[in-house]
Formats: sequence, C-alpha cells, structure tokens
Amino acid sequence: MSASDLAGSAASNQSAPSIRWGRVAREVLRTVASVLVTILGLLALTFFIGRLLPLDPVLAILGDDASQEAYDRMVVQLGLDKPLWQQFLTYVVNSLQFDFGTSLTSGKPVTEDILRVFPATLELATVAMILGTGLGIPLGVIAAANRDTWIDQVVRVLSLIGYSAPIFWLGLLGLTVFYAGLGWVGGPGRIDILYQYDLTPRTGLYLIDSALAGRWDIFADVFSRIVLPASILAYGAMAYISRMTRSFMLEQFSQEYIVAARAKGASRTQMIWSHAFPNIAVQLVTVVALSYAFLLEGAVLTETVFAWPGFGRYLTTALLRADMNAVLGCTLVVGLIFITLNLLCDIFYRAFDPRTR
Amino acid sequence: MKKHANFLRCVAAAVALGAVPALAETPADTLLMARNIDAISTFDPAQIGEVVTNEMIQNICDSLVSIDPEDEASVVPAMAKDWTVSDDGLKITFNLVEGATFPSGNPVTAKDVVWSMQRVLKLGFGNAATLTEYGFSEETAETDFVALDDYTFEMNLSRPYPIALILQAVASNRVANVLDSEFLKGEEVDGDYANKYLTTNSACVGPFALRQWNAGEVVILEANENYYGPAPKLKRIIIRHVAEAQAQRLLLEQGDIDVARDLGAEDLRDLKENPDLEVVSTPLHQLYYMGFDSAKPEFADDRVRLAFKYLVDYDALADTVMAFLGVPRASVVPLGALGALDEEEGQPFSLDLDKAKELLTEAGYGDGFSARLFVGTLPYVAPIAQHVQENAAKVGIDLQIEQMANAQLFSAFRGRDFDTIMLSWQTSVPHAHGMLSRHAVNPDNSDEAGLTMFPTWRASWYNEDFNKRVDEALFEKDEAKQIEMYKQLQLDHMMHGPFAYMFQLLDTAVLGSSVTTWKWNAFRVYYADIEKG
Repeated sequence: MSASDLAGSAASNQSAPSIRWGRVAREVLRTVASVLVTILGLLALTFFIGRLLPLDPVLAILGDDASQEAYDRMVVQLGLDKPLWQQFLTYVVNSLQFDFGTSLTSGKPVTEDILRVFPATLELATVAMILGTGLGIPLGVIAAANRDTWIDQVVRVLSLIGYSAPIFWLGLLGLTVFYAGLGWVGGPGRIDILYQYDLTPRTGLYLIDSALAGRWDIFADVFSRIVLPASILAYGAMAYISRMTRSFMLEQFSQEYIVAARAKGASRTQMIWSHAFPNIAVQLVTVVALSYAFLLEGAVLTETVFAWPGFGRYLTTALLRADMNAVLGCTLVVGLIFITLNLLCDIFYRAFDPRTR
Repeated sequence: MKKHANFLRCVAAAVALGAVPALAETPADTLLMARNIDAISTFDPAQIGEVVTNEMIQNICDSLVSIDPEDEASVVPAMAKDWTVSDDGLKITFNLVEGATFPSGNPVTAKDVVWSMQRVLKLGFGNAATLTEYGFSEETAETDFVALDDYTFEMNLSRPYPIALILQAVASNRVANVLDSEFLKGEEVDGDYANKYLTTNSACVGPFALRQWNAGEVVILEANENYYGPAPKLKRIIIRHVAEAQAQRLLLEQGDIDVARDLGAEDLRDLKENPDLEVVSTPLHQLYYMGFDSAKPEFADDRVRLAFKYLVDYDALADTVMAFLGVPRASVVPLGALGALDEEEGQPFSLDLDKAKELLTEAGYGDGFSARLFVGTLPYVAPIAQHVQENAAKVGIDLQIEQMANAQLFSAFRGRDFDTIMLSWQTSVPHAHGMLSRHAVNPDNSDEAGLTMFPTWRASWYNEDFNKRVDEALFEKDEAKQIEMYKQLQLDHMMHGPFAYMFQLLDTAVLGSSVTTWKWNAFRVYYADIEKG
C-alpha cells in the first residue's frame, strides 16, 4: 500500500460521517414520501370505493319514508351534488386534519367515535397478542426442535384447530362453558354496566384505568370479561405464529452454521436459543406485527359475540347502515395502522438485519 | 412427566385466580334490558324512524296525547289534559296541563307544541309524512298549528278527517312530542331547528330522561323526578347493546339482565319451557310482505302476483322460523286495527302449487320466467326467501335471491330498481286507513312524481278505483258502513293489490323472574309502569 493510498483512505474515512448523514436524510425523505403517497392512494381508494358501493347515505339519514323533496335537499346539504373531484378534494383536506365529519349512526364526530371504540379493540388485541405470541413462539420452537415427534403432532393439531374452528362458534362455546356453566369468567360486555360510570376513562384501556384508580374490584370485573375473548383471539394468533415459527426454525436448522455449531459441540439448548432463534427474530417481527395489525382492525365476530364495543363492530355497523363518513374514517385508520406497523418493521429490519442496510 | 404435571398445576391455579363469579341479580331499582340497538341513529323525535328509538322516545318525550295502555285503540290525555272538536270537524282545541316544566326550568306552553309540530314539517324527515298525509304542509304550518294562549293549542284541519285517527297518529308517532322551544332555539345551527343537538340529547318532558347514549354500547334512561304525571316505578332503565341472540339468552339465564328483546324462534321455544322466565308477545301493526314491480310485464298481471300467494306454506313457517315472531296474515290491514278482516277472512291462502300454476298459465306464463328477489338481513328473512324460491321453482319461476343490507334494500325499492322484494311495513295507527293510505293509494304513478313514501308508487302500481274508495271510506261518518267498506277494500286488494302479505309481526320479549309488571301494546312499551319484585 502506497502513501497516497493511505492518505486517500484517511480522507475518505474523515468524510464518511457526512456521507452517512446524507444517506440517512435521503432514506428518511424517501420513507416519508412513500408514506405520503401510500396515504394519498389510500384516501383515493377509500373515497372511490365509498362512492361505488350501492349504499345510499341520504336514505340512511332521512329514513325510508322521506319525500323526494326532502331527499333532494339532503343531497345538496351533504354536498353530494358537487362534482366528484370537488368532493374528493374536500375529503382529502378534511381527512388530513382528522375531520371525517359526523357519523350518521352515532350523531357524533367520527374521530370522537373512533377514539371511543379504538381503545376497546386495542386492549383486547394487545392482551390477545401477548397471549398469542407468548405461547405461539415457544410452541413453534418446541415443535421444530421435536420435528415429527408426538410433541410436533400435538402442536400441529392444536394449530389446525386454531386455524379452522370458526371464531363465532368458539366464542359461544366458550361463553356457554366458562361463563354460563362454570362461572369462571364474566359475561358478554367489556365491563359491568353498573361499574362503567364509576370509572373515569383516562387511557380508555379499562384494565389500566381501573388499576390507576386503584379500583381493584373493577379491575377484576374487566379482567374476568376480557380473558375469554382475548384467549379466543389469541388462539387463532397463536396457531399462525407457532406454525410460522416452526417453519422459520426448521429452515435455520438446515443451515451450515448450525451443523458447524453442533460439530463444535454446542448443546441442543444453545443451538436452538443462541444460534437459530436470534436469526429468525427479524422474520418473526413481521409475522407478529401482521397478526397484531389484523387484530387491531377489530375482530368483528368476536366483538359481536362478546358485545364488545370495539372498532370492528363499529366499522361493520357503519357499513351496514351506509354511514359513509364512519366507513371512510375507519378504513383510513386501518390503513394507517398497517402503514405504521410496516414502517416499524422496516426500521426494525434495518436496525437488526445488516443485509438491508 | 413431572415437569408437565407441574405446568398443569400452574395453569389450574392461574385459572382459579382469574375466576370471578357472575353477578346473580340486577339492582332492584334498575331494569337491565339486552337489545340490538345498532339501529339508533338519533333521538330527534322529528327524525326517528327506527322501532327501537321510537320505543325509547315515547318514554322520554310526552306527546299531546298518548295511546291508552289498557286499550291500544283508544287515546288518553298526556300533555293535553282534554280537547274539544269544532262542529264542522275542522278544528281541534287542546287544553294543556299547567305546571309542567322542561329540564331547563322553562314551563311547557302551547308555543312549544306549535314549534315542535311545525319543525317536523319544516325538517321534512320521514315522520313529516304522518302530518302531510292528513293535509298539513310546510307551507300552511303557521296556520295549521296555532297557540291561542300559553295553555291552549289549536290544530286546524283542511278536511274533516276522523278525529280519532288524527289523535291516534299524533299519539303513536313522533310528530307532537313537545320540545323545549325556548332552549332549543339557542342550540340551532344553520337553521336546523336544533336537529344536530337533539341527535344525542333530549329537551322535553317525559317519565324518563335520556342520560347517556353510546352508539353500539348502551342507552341509559333515568327517571324524571319532576315529572308532572305519576312517578315511574323504576329509577333507571339501561338498554345494553347485545347484538347476538345467544349472548342475550346466556345473560338472561344467568340473571345478569332482566329482559331480552331479540331472541330467535328456537331460543324462544326453549325458554318457554323455563319456569323462571316468561315469554311475552304483542302483535305489531307491521306486516312482512313480498312486493312486485308492476312495471315489469310479468308482474303487471294480477294473476301472477296472486299466484305467489299460493307459493307459501304459511302454517309451516309460522310453526318454525316465525314461531313467536309472526302470525300468517294476507290482508293489507293488520288484526287489531279498526275495519280489519277477522283472522280467517284475513288469511284465506295456503300452499297450493296447482292453483299457482293455473293462475300463471292463465296469465300466459305457464312456462315460467326468471326474476330477482331482494331481501334484507333479518334472521328469518333468508329461510322465508328460500322457501318461496323452492316453491316458485316448482311452478317454473326461477327466483334469484340477493341478500343485502337494509339501506341498500330500501334504496332499491325506492328507486324502483327491483323485480321482487321482501320487507316489512309498519303503520302507526290502529285503523285500516293507516295501511290502505300507503298500500292501496298511489296519487301519481309517473316517475317524475317521485312519490317514494308510497310503497304503491315504488311498486309502480296504480289503481284509480282504490284511490277513490280509500278516500270515501275515510270520510264515511257511519262507522258500521265504514267498516264494511274497509272489509271489501281488503278483499279486493288481496286479489288485485301489488303485494303478497305473509305475516303480521309480533314483538316478543323474555322477562326474567325479577320483572313483575311489563306493560306494552302494538304502539308503546310503558317503561314507567314496569315493576320489579
């Protein structure tokens, strides 16, 4: 190596930090731009799907019995007589300020409704996710480590049931056995109606709110009611996560570095948890994030069976009632959840997987 | 193995710790009712069109007069303590109760009645039809409803309509619920007559007041301590949203609710056997029927529409999917209404495929045809539609069922964009005119007329003779003769009308043992009279 080479190398080392910052800035800009384009696309999609659906928001407000004159007046009042592009523009501008208008089904601003129903779903989905991930990952690893043994078969059967049993049926069965039969859990509903007005919502997550208020009687009631729907949702999530974990782990087991580790005398536990498992962590994050996103969308059937006033039910009711403001607002929120979780996954990938840098 | 046993012990301990026994009974001063309340979209009396909200608002906002709890065909005083009718039958003068006050502290006066009734016409929601049907209009509202002084209200009619009918319409519909005009004028936005405010609030006098409504979650009503009438027996009525019938049943069986309102035929049959529960029913003035688009050549022929009435096994459906939910009825006028045909005369049809085939052949459709059948989402709808589809196929008619959300169904019906359709229609008066005025009368069948409030117009069915006869019957002073006219109208409508009526619907509830008094009829549930033991 010549002296000039060394000098050049030193110079490039000195300028390296500024080059990296530029790259980071470009990356951030690119990400922000891609998020903005996605959101705009989402807005356009939700808006035009809303207009294409054969639902009549005017009738939803006026009722089936209204006269044609009243109908025509409402069309003008809702701005539905304006050109489509103008309606879309208004929609985009309002949506960007989180103003989705008033819900026809609740008479309140859609944003207020979403803020009321979303915590119910967030709480349910989070408890379900903790249970689903906490059980699904170890089961998947154990199944992979004991491939084709009875343990693997048991996990497979459990997962298959979780995949295929209709959640509606599981919910009713669970209620019949654990609520009506054994009395182990609370009935349908998020909280005993007589407690509801004793509890001041701070976060909207009743487990946390009741704990913060030191109302352990309410906490016990809320817990007894969330445990069954969350377990049923968790079962489905667990089935998916355990199957994916198993397949990721089996892929790792066939890699040469595992063979090398075994040749060097690494124990079975070391090989699984210290060598193979860290390598599937990044892939697992995507699986878990996607499962979480699906749960956050709201599990309509579970929420219906358990009279859970959550996001999924709100969206479905809005759709059936032709409450387009609510439908568009909710769809946008679902889109944002996916975008956020995808973004977080991306960041996580970049941080932990050198190949993506 | 020992490791597994320890794990199981841990799980058992965790489950035991999490176990919380269900509440055994509801509070004595509160009625807890489970109901699907998804349909609620507003508490503005002028706008309410749903059965669920109608039931609540009748207990929140008193009207001028009320349907008698002991006899649904009679009207009793409410905000009006009495009334007189002018000799020419064109003027009703109401004397209002004195001393009633709104929650704001404002006294209830005749000006409030005027404002409340005029706003119904000016807002023009579906309910306005109750008034326009009897000649009141937005243009004449100022002279139709007049406050003579603070406690005297005058209603001016354009024709000598039967007074009983007008009072019934006012009592059971939401057109004369007296609102606090003084207070609500301060809540107006862009001349909306406080419609936005009343969506989620109440400003009126009734035995109960709306304390809270969380859409898709709960409605809480609290007893009005300053009520001018007899005090309600209970302090609170909580209507909890439970959409799933099975969940309602479990809650009721566990004693966690007092009343379940949306149970299906199978559950009701089971619960009837439970000695701790009581299944109660009341016939509604609501008919479930099949409509045909008479603008389509095949349905323009009376005989084709008539043939469909022979494609239904009414009794079999009544014993199965419609058990506790409906009774067979082919007449356009529901049982219980003035002038209604009796049970037997009102339902002369039965499943008769040969007769249906014969009628179709006579009409020139012996080889059948195909048509779409639009239906909604109520639980009993699909089985009935499939039943009709199967029988129709046997006489060569290919019906393609399309199930859709109610909003979409109404839209298709109003837009005259259907072949055949199944849905229900409810009238708010126990009088033959209530149904005939919409199901037999069509003032103008042209597309331009856009008379969407008339199901006859939606079905493109027009018959000058019916228009005339319904009007004549309405103004017939001799009641015996009038009833005879209504009976003949029903018989003729059965043979030539645009619709095939199948069931008169029932409202059925299951009461827990805690409920000792439950009072209702076709038009009202009297929350103030409900008692718990």
